[in-house]
Amino acid sequence: MIRSKDDVAQELVRVHFSVEPALSRIYRIRSEREDEPGEPIKLLEVNANTVATGSIDTFTFAPTKEVPVPTVIAEVTPEEHKQLEEGKLRLPGGWSLQGAETFERPAA
Amino acid sequence: MSEGHRLAFAAAFFTQARSDWHVYQLLAATSGLPSCHSLHYLQAACEKLAKAYRLRDTGATVDDVTSRHTGFAKFVNAFLRSPTLVAEYHGLLARYRAVCSSSARFAREIEKLAPAIDRATSPENAEYPWLRGRAVLTPCEYGYPALSLLSEPGGRAFLRLIERAFREYGQVAIQ
Repeated sequence: MIRSKDDVAQELVRVHFSVEPALSRIYRIRSEREDEPGEPIKLLEVNANTVATGSIDTFTFAPTKEVPVPTVIAEVTPEEHKQLEEGKLRLPGGWSLQGAETFERPAA
Repeated sequence: MSEGHRLAFAAAFFTQARSDWHVYQLLAATSGLPSCHSLHYLQAACEKLAKAYRLRDTGATVDDVTSRHTGFAKFVNAFLRSPTLVAEYHGLLARYRAVCSSSARFAREIEKLAPAIDRATSPENAEYPWLRGRAVLTPCEYGYPALSLLSEPGGRAFLRLIERAFREYGQVAIQ
């Protein structure tokens, strides 16, 4: 069965929350080209167990058997997330939190 | 070899490591390529980055660092224990432990990708075919299960650590 891009994104969010207890929030960024083939799933994840770098770096992963859509993932610490909300950090080009789908950590 | 040459080698290793790191990112983002190719460049970038820091900061000789492929896992531990990082995690012990633990695990797995490392117990590498039991396995047909987790949160924390080690080469020293 071929999964839709939305289904793959939901599954990624679920898996990431399940493997990382310090992950508190995930934004799924949507672009104007979201429905075009090849447009990746874009996630911004707030993770206390990551390393701060003082910027929002993206890592791109090619499609795999398990995740058949390209993914671009950026990760921030809670402190960097606060800086982002205060306008002290910039999102990658073409990314915006406006219109992003927000997933909070499910209650245990 | 003079001190000047040693530092020149450190700078050269750093430059080559950063170039390998960019190629890793390009290959990791490219559809349809077996993962051995991106992992080969990730291993090369990490090995050379560790050599650059060791040459510059520890007094290791060029012969020391060029004669072996090991040292990356040790470098990650040293980088995490640098005063800059330790100060940053002051009062955040659980977070520090989590980052150290997952980074050390990925560092060991990446170090093992070099064909010359631990061929007896971990023959899986990113370049040459190997024997596992009676089967001859090929890098471009192998899944590298331990490293497929690089796209998950612990893996990305590790990749950010490497990015930071590149970005702060001028500011952070290891011991």
